[in-house]
Amino acid sequence: MAALRLWRCGCRALLSRPAAAPRARRGLAAGPEMHFGFQTVTEEERREKIYQVFENVAKKYDVMNDSMTLGIHRVWKDILVHKMNPCPGTLLLDVAGGTGDIAFRFINYVRSVRQRQLQRKLKHHQNLSWQEIFESYQNDKFNNSLGDSQVVVCDINREMLKVGKQKAQHLGYSEGLSWVLGNAEELPFDDDKFDVYTIAFGIRNVTRIDLALQEAYRVLKPGGRFLCLEFSHVSNPLLSRLYDLYSFQVIPVLGEVIAGDWRSYQYLVESIRQFPPQEELKAMIEDAGFFKVDYENLNFGIVAIHSGFKL
Amino acid sequence: MLRGPGLLLPLRLRRAAPAGPGHRRDCHRQQEQEQSSDSGSGPDSGSGSAGPQPLEPSLLRFLVCPLSKRPLRYEESTNELINEELGIAYPIIDGIPNMVPEAARRTHTKAPAEGSEQP
Repeated sequence: MAALRLWRCGCRALLSRPAAAPRARRGLAAGPEMHFGFQTVTEEERREKIYQVFENVAKKYDVMNDSMTLGIHRVWKDILVHKMNPCPGTLLLDVAGGTGDIAFRFINYVRSVRQRQLQRKLKHHQNLSWQEIFESYQNDKFNNSLGDSQVVVCDINREMLKVGKQKAQHLGYSEGLSWVLGNAEELPFDDDKFDVYTIAFGIRNVTRIDLALQEAYRVLKPGGRFLCLEFSHVSNPLLSRLYDLYSFQVIPVLGEVIAGDWRSYQYLVESIRQFPPQEELKAMIEDAGFFKVDYENLNFGIVAIHSGFKL
Repeated sequence: MLRGPGLLLPLRLRRAAPAGPGHRRDCHRQQEQEQSSDSGSGPDSGSGSAGPQPLEPSLLRFLVCPLSKRPLRYEESTNELINEELGIAYPIIDGIPNMVPEAARRTHTKAPAEGSEQP
């Protein structure tokens, strides 16, 4: 194991680009102490604790999301996929997407775009000869309904992946969908492979955000897009008060009642407050090498979608 | 995925060709292979959740070792992704490759970076 760790350090050293070096150094200078919600813990402890949180909540994850956000998290995720606007053929890596929420939406979206394309094509050919009909059926065999799009879901948590895979089976998604257990800070994917990288409500739980961003940059193709959906900070003071009240007084109670797990949801709301605000995250994404970094606040900044391109 | 007793045979032969150090490892390997071929090539190895599910072939074009970022070899008999250079193997559990180094298994008896091999 010691040897493995050595290798890891070596690889990390190679990976850290000069642009991101100052930030990384700042992180190291602060020592290995990290935040787990409002507690201060070591990096290793934080990883373990977060693993436990998601192990605990995996089975109730969807129910809890629905009840905590009154179903609005579905709209947020829809907006993310609309913003991505993937065309057939897009290769997507969805990190921390264990339960498949983004992946299923992506597949639906690409399928509908593909269908529209085919319909448009058919409209142009109203009078088909038998030969053409035959050929179109032949083509359909090779062109799947996604136009060779693929989504790879990568999550570090086995329980979340298990839930997602079961959901996929249940909902009938299989084509163009694969699951990988991996760490966002140390992705098991080759350089320049994906058109889009998404991370929805995941980056907050990554211990070294700078490493995760560097890895996102590495696996994206030139021209590829980074999209991050995450809780953020409400700037309006009145709304912010209301939001705090709801977060700290209601959400842990809901967690206890629905999932029997107060602490995991206490962590959730605390971690949202600890997460860097919009502008700071934007700067971090730029530090990783992304261009044209931008963000869009949803619901007054309760969540934000950050976007950047690898050029 | 192509899977069956017929396919395992050439794989075994290929495995034997690059002479690895140590007999112990080879014996160990053989045992594992037999185990996996017993449970994997049964009549229900299609979609049953009981048997080990193989890797999705489309994933191989993306996957690399998270440590060295080098390509991996899929070993069908043990259902693992192998990094020959570092001598580690990542397991595939329920069809999901487990790509965290903590879950990897050593395949070499000799560690790749112990003292003498430091650059």
